[in-house]
Amino acid sequence: MKSKRALLITLLILVAMVLPSAAVFSQDETVELRMAWWGSQTRHDKTIAVIELYETLNPNVDIVYEPSGWDDHWTKLATQAAGGDLPDIIQHDYQRIREWVANDLLLPLDEFIESGVIDTTNIADASLAGGIVDGKLYGFNLGNNSETFVIDVDALEAAGVELPPVDWTWADFEEMALKLAASGVYAAGGNLHFSEHWKGLYISCCDSYAYNAEGNGLGYTEEEDQYFVDYLNMLLRLQDAGAIPTLEETTANANTSVEDSYIVTGQAAIEYGWSNMIVAIWTAAGEDRNFIEWTVPRVVDGLPRNYIKPSMFFAISKDSDKAEEAAKFIDFFTNSIEANEILFAERGVPVSSAVREALSSQLGPAQQEMFDFLGVVEGYNSPIRPPDPAAHADINSNVYLPQVVEPILYGMMSPEEGVKILRDEAELLLSQ
Amino acid sequence: MGDAIIKFPTRQPKKSRFGRNNIVGYLFISPWLIAFILFGLIPMVVSFGLAFTNYHILRGWDFIGLDNFHRMFYEDRRYWNSVRATVKYVIIAVPLRLVFALAVAMLLNTKRRGVAFYRAAFYAPSVVGGSIAVAVMWREIFAREGLVNYLIGQFGQESIWWLGHPDYAIWTLILLAAWQFGSPMLIFLAGLKQIPGQLYESASIDGANGIQKFFRITFPLLTPVVFFNLVMQLIAGFMTFTQAFIITNGSGRPLDTTLFYALYLYKRGFETYEMGYASAMAWVMLVVVALLTAIVFATSARWVYYESQEGK
Repeated sequence: MKSKRALLITLLILVAMVLPSAAVFSQDETVELRMAWWGSQTRHDKTIAVIELYETLNPNVDIVYEPSGWDDHWTKLATQAAGGDLPDIIQHDYQRIREWVANDLLLPLDEFIESGVIDTTNIADASLAGGIVDGKLYGFNLGNNSETFVIDVDALEAAGVELPPVDWTWADFEEMALKLAASGVYAAGGNLHFSEHWKGLYISCCDSYAYNAEGNGLGYTEEEDQYFVDYLNMLLRLQDAGAIPTLEETTANANTSVEDSYIVTGQAAIEYGWSNMIVAIWTAAGEDRNFIEWTVPRVVDGLPRNYIKPSMFFAISKDSDKAEEAAKFIDFFTNSIEANEILFAERGVPVSSAVREALSSQLGPAQQEMFDFLGVVEGYNSPIRPPDPAAHADINSNVYLPQVVEPILYGMMSPEEGVKILRDEAELLLSQ
Repeated sequence: MGDAIIKFPTRQPKKSRFGRNNIVGYLFISPWLIAFILFGLIPMVVSFGLAFTNYHILRGWDFIGLDNFHRMFYEDRRYWNSVRATVKYVIIAVPLRLVFALAVAMLLNTKRRGVAFYRAAFYAPSVVGGSIAVAVMWREIFAREGLVNYLIGQFGQESIWWLGHPDYAIWTLILLAAWQFGSPMLIFLAGLKQIPGQLYESASIDGANGIQKFFRITFPLLTPVVFFNLVMQLIAGFMTFTQAFIITNGSGRPLDTTLFYALYLYKRGFETYEMGYASAMAWVMLVVVALLTAIVFATSARWVYYESQEGK
């Protein structure tokens, strides 16, 4: 008897534990959307504010959000993808979207544009092109961006250096960097060895890219290896001259936030990054500073290195059973002026011309500079390259940095040798 | 006689193991049991299976036999970098931590006033040791304007980029490990308390000095505890993850000198999504650690002294 009762009680407790979660499913009418993005605290705050605004306007929609940093975002998404439990709306990236589409994880958005759920009347086709994979639109552009050198105008003046021409070259940069070093500031914050420079170099020198269009091999010939060798030699010269931080210094500083970055602290006069970054830099540095966004140098006699890129996308997961509701939110996020007054171009220059116009009168100096710079780039740009192949993440973190660029900049390997290793190992990974 | 004590068999002779009484028992331990099966047993079995596949979180999987192991041993240079970093760390950090632990335990094994406070104070770093906060603090200590550079600056030395220098970066992690000697220290302390005081007294009467007492009495009688600590720390050393993950930002930099095995495994599994390969790495690690532990056990007969064996 006794044991029977114990059994009964245990079962009752178990049922009681399961019940509350079951009750949630029985409620209807409310649509629950899940949404995930990466970003800084500023982006989290702004995005959450827009979500709350949307929920007030659409009381039947409840948006559950999962903000994180870049690394965690992708780790979490991968596990969710494996478990078939992806959020409805996913903030996505140009470098990764190709792989996600290839693995059939995302939903094409074309039908929502045809049916008018997402209104694109104020959006130029060029702004949407970046999100097209295999002829279908998978990623909806949240803002336009371009690579940039953020320049501290006052530091240049103090060093007696003039602003370079818009079509400046790496040779111009080297000359300027040595002058800046003489006045006691670095000419870069410490990320000139990133793989973006390897990839961009081949736009500029050879009208190509690090990877070929099919994504199954490198996009440059063995003779053209020399361009990257030259670039690495330049970095070595600048490192020796004290014009850019050594890799030792950069590695030790790997954790620094925007507030401690060299351009903000005044230790460097130039910082490489994406154009929306200026908002964070200027906010951290204070209003009394003066920054300007400039094109990234090109190879001598080369083509423009800059191109206009979607800063990030919204995508809808393939498994979402509320895709239309998700699309409605994307429309709101893109076209609502009220929402964009909150977001305030933090994800890059808004793609909707109506939104840009509405914001133009309220822009602060940082946003104004970003808007202006994108205008400049339109006159000096190269076409956007296809998204990176799926193997890029692997090549970058397991080959490019640890086996090539780092040994070279630590002086343990010659650029010639490193560039050859890069070719062999990258080709191997790309062919798989 | 047995019948008088054990009454159950008379009522339930040889009933199935899952008899009524036992069901209640299993229900009571079910929270643990379910958690163990779900989060322990099943993942282990699955990861063993995955070790023979090329499972990639986004792309799915194919059975590839022993290819993962071939790749690990013959093709993946970073794998060997990570093995080198881990072995170097274990060989230096584990003995260092044990020596520290023993030294401090002996200092605290006195009858001075306030010794209880010191015991707690010395144990504290280990309580918070695995935590993110300590790793972050450590990173700051070795930063450009951190404590260490300040101290060597007082002696006129140039600042060093500790975390960026290929020769020095791993030493920051080794020092952190040595500093977190608390848990072996506590076990040593318990061991020291077991050593009978009269042994020291009679040694003193015979004119033995401190060093002789340590090597003739303390250490031999402490060997079972040393053995236990060695095995535990060896295993923990090979699995070190958090410290490297935080201090070097999970990069293994500079030049893979801090790319610990567990960190590299994590990067393969969660950064490039190669779960099959990561599982294979995990099982190799398990086998290696098991073998090392077995070797330590095998040698223990030569140097570990158990009092109960005295008459043997």
